[in-house]
Amino acid sequence: MAGEQKTYYTIDPEGRLKCCKCGVPLVKANAVFGYLDNAFPVELPVCPVCGFVYVPEELAMGKVLSVEKVLEDK
Amino acid sequence: MDFTERSTRVYRTKQLFTKEELAAREGLCVHEEPPFCSAACPLKLDVREFVRLCAAGDFTAARAMLERITPFARVLAAGCSAPCAAACRLNEVGEGIDIAALERAAMRYGAPKSGRGMLRFRKKKRAAVLGAELFTLSAAAEFAQKSYPTEFYVPQADAADLVRACAPFLSEEDCAAEAARLKAMDLKVHYGAQITRELYESCRQSADILCLSRGAAKALEPAAEPDEVTLLCEALGALVRPAGEEDVLTALTDARRAGVSADRIAQGMDPATLRGEEGAVTSRLYTDLSGVAPSRRKTAGHALPTAEEAQSEAARCVQCSCTECLKACPYLRHYAKSPRLLTREIYNNAGIIMGDHMMNKALNSCALCGQCSVVCPNGFDMAEICRRARENMVDTGKMSLAVHEFALYDQIFSNTEALLARSQPGFERSEWVFFPGCQAGAVAPEAVERAYSDLCGRLPGGVGIFLGCCGAVAKWSGRTELWEETRALLANELAKLGDPVVIAACPTCAGVLKEAGIPKVRGLWEVLLEIGLPDTAPQEGARVTLHDACGARGDHALQQAVRKILHGLGCEVTESELSGDKTPCCGYGGLVSCANPKMAKEFAQSIAQSAQGLPVVSYCMACRDRIAREGVKSLHLLELLYGADAGSPPGLSEKRRNRLKLKERLLKEKWGEDLAKRPLGFGLTLTEEARALMEERMILDTDVIAVMQHYHDTGEAVEDLDGGLLVTRMRLGNVTFWAKFTEDAQGYTVHRVYSHRMTVETR
Repeated sequence: MAGEQKTYYTIDPEGRLKCCKCGVPLVKANAVFGYLDNAFPVELPVCPVCGFVYVPEELAMGKVLSVEKVLEDK
Repeated sequence: MDFTERSTRVYRTKQLFTKEELAAREGLCVHEEPPFCSAACPLKLDVREFVRLCAAGDFTAARAMLERITPFARVLAAGCSAPCAAACRLNEVGEGIDIAALERAAMRYGAPKSGRGMLRFRKKKRAAVLGAELFTLSAAAEFAQKSYPTEFYVPQADAADLVRACAPFLSEEDCAAEAARLKAMDLKVHYGAQITRELYESCRQSADILCLSRGAAKALEPAAEPDEVTLLCEALGALVRPAGEEDVLTALTDARRAGVSADRIAQGMDPATLRGEEGAVTSRLYTDLSGVAPSRRKTAGHALPTAEEAQSEAARCVQCSCTECLKACPYLRHYAKSPRLLTREIYNNAGIIMGDHMMNKALNSCALCGQCSVVCPNGFDMAEICRRARENMVDTGKMSLAVHEFALYDQIFSNTEALLARSQPGFERSEWVFFPGCQAGAVAPEAVERAYSDLCGRLPGGVGIFLGCCGAVAKWSGRTELWEETRALLANELAKLGDPVVIAACPTCAGVLKEAGIPKVRGLWEVLLEIGLPDTAPQEGARVTLHDACGARGDHALQQAVRKILHGLGCEVTESELSGDKTPCCGYGGLVSCANPKMAKEFAQSIAQSAQGLPVVSYCMACRDRIAREGVKSLHLLELLYGADAGSPPGLSEKRRNRLKLKERLLKEKWGEDLAKRPLGFGLTLTEEARALMEERMILDTDVIAVMQHYHDTGEAVEDLDGGLLVTRMRLGNVTFWAKFTEDAQGYTVHRVYSHRMTVETR
C-alpha cells in the first residue's frame, strides 16, 4: 500500500522511555532478532549505558510473533 | 530432559511412508469413489451432478452435460436404458430416482448450447464410415468431433431418413432436431450410396480409419468378428460393433470406444494401448442410508415429466458420498478434506526440503483420538498418520519447539517437581498403586485425595500413590526420546514400589501405561465395581449426559463399568449421539490445545452442544476441564462419587499449583512430611488483566515470579513515561518473558505480561 511504513517500530516521541538502572533515556540503536538460526537486523530502543534492549508489547505480539510463526513452518 | 530449538538451516528429510504404505492408506478412503449411479453409466455421465443440476432447476447445464458425453443427446434421452436408475441406492429404502425421465426433461426444458464452440483444425488422417445404424451414425459424429475429415456413406435419401432409420423410437420433433444437428456437423454424408465391396475397397485405400455397420461387415466377411475392447475387426481392417442387440446405450458407448480406437490408429499405435477406464465400473463408495426416509417417484410414470415434477424428483436425490469421518470429527470438518487428500498432503509435507511446510499446523491439530478409525467403514486411521508425521518431523529436526513446548515442560514438571511415588504408610511394598493422572491432580485434587484414602482403607496389601505423567505428552508430540525416558522412569518408580497393580483413573493413562510395557494396569472404575462404591457415594442421582473418554475407545468393559456406576448412583444417563467407541475427543488429546487452541475449542464445543442442556459426566479429567470451559456443567465421575465438586476450571498456573499442593498435602497428612517453601523476597500482585493475558499467552505465574525476581535482584527495567509503567524481562529457556508492572511499598503489581521466542541482541 502506498505510504505504508516499512519500519517495524518507531520510538515516537523519543525520550519517553528511560532505563531505570542507569537513569538515562533509551536511544534508537541497532539490534538483531534471532530465531531458528535466522537473524533480522532492526532498530530498537536501547539503553546507551547498560545495553538493555526494549521490545515493546505491540512489536512482540505483532510482527515478532508472525515472523516466528512463519519461520516455524520453514 | 532439555530440548534444543531447531534450525531452519538443516535440510534433512525422511520419507514418511513408502509408496506401498501410502497407497494402502489412501486406498482405504472411498470419499473420491464415484457414486453408484455414475459408476453404472458406461458413458461416464456424472449422474450425481446431473441430478443436482436438475434439482436446482438448471436444466440448461444438465442438458449441456448430456451433450458433452454423446453427439446425439436426444437419441440418448429417448432410448437410454438408465442402468444408473437401477444402481440408485434409494431403491433400497423406496423408489430410486427416475433418471431416464430427468434426461428427457433436461433435453426438453434446457436451452441448447449457444455459440459456435472452439475453432478446430482438421486433422490429416481421414475417416470413412459405411452403412447406417445407430453405432455408425454416432461413430461418424465422434470422428467428426475429433476433427478427422469424415466421409459417411448411407443408403438413405436424406438426414431425416437416416436419423429415423437409426433411431426409429424418436418422436418426429426429436428426429427433426437430430437431423438438423447432423447437418450442422463437419461431416460429409453421401446419401443414397450403395454399400458395395468396391466402395469398401476404395475407402480402405483412401481412409486411414474405417468403420462399418454390422450389416455391411457381415455382407463382406460373414465370419469376421471384432475385438470386444478395441472393436477392430482385423479381417476387414475396420471398426465394427460387436454381436448382440443394438441397445441405444451400447451403441453410443461402442461409438465412443471406436473414437478411442480411431485416435490410436491415427497415431500408428496398437488400438489396445492406453485406453484408460471404459464402460461401467463398480464403486466402493459407502453411503449411510440410515437417516433417509423412503420416498416414491414424483414423475408419476410420465415419460416426459413437467419441469416441476422433474425438479422435485431430482430433489429426492441424497447425493451419495461418504463423509462419515467428516460428520463426526471437528478436525476433519475444519480442514474440509477427505482423509485421503489430507494424508497425501501430509506425506508431501514431509518431503519438503526448503520452503513452507503448509501442513505442519494440520498434522499437529489432529487429536490422535482414533475416532475416524471407528466411524470410517474401512477403518481409516488419521491418528496413526499424524503421529508418525510428528515423529518424522522431530526426527528430521523440522518440529519447532514452540508447538508443544508448554506441554512438554508440563510433563517434565509432573514427573519431577510434582512427582510423588510412595507406598502406603506402614507398607514396605504395595499390592496396588493409585495413578490418578496429571489432569486429575490439576483439576480436582480434593476428589483425588478422597479416592486415595478410600482405596487405602478398602484394598488389602497396601495402596501406593503415583502422582505423575504417563508419558502421553511425549507420545503425542512425537518425542520418542522423552517417551523412552518416561518409560524408564515409570518402570523404575513402580519397581521401587514392588511392581504393584496400577489402578489408573484416566483411560488414556491406562492405555499409555500398557503401551509403555507396564504389565499390570487396571481401570479404577472396574476396581470400584468389584469392591463396591464408597459409602459416601450419593444416591439421589440426576439426569446427566455421559461423555465417553476417547481413551476408552474399544474398551467396552470400562465403558460398561462407568455406566453401571452411574446407575448405582441413581443417575439417569442420556447417551449422546456419538457415544461409546464413536466418542469424540475434547481437544486435549494429541496436544491440540497446545498446537492449535482454536481447533481444540471446536472439539469441546461440539461435545457441549450435544449435551442437550444436561450436565455432562465424564471419566477423563481433561474432558471434564475442557467441557466446563464451554459453559456447560461438567463433572468427573470422581467428583460425583466422592462428593468433591471442583468448581470452575482452573487456569494454567493453578493447574500446576494444584498438583504441587496435592503432593504437599498428601506428604503431610499421610507421611507427616513438610516441604520447606522458600518465601518470595517481595510482595507480588497479579491484576485480572495480567491473569487473563497469562492464560491466553500460556505464561505461568512461576515465569512471572522469575521475571520479577530478576528485577528484584538486578533492578533492570525500562520506565515508560507515557504509561507510567515499568517494564522488565527475563529469558527463561527458549522464551523471553516481559512484565509491565508498578512498584510500591507492598511490592510489585504486574499489569500486563507478554513473551517472544526470538532472541534479541545489540549490534
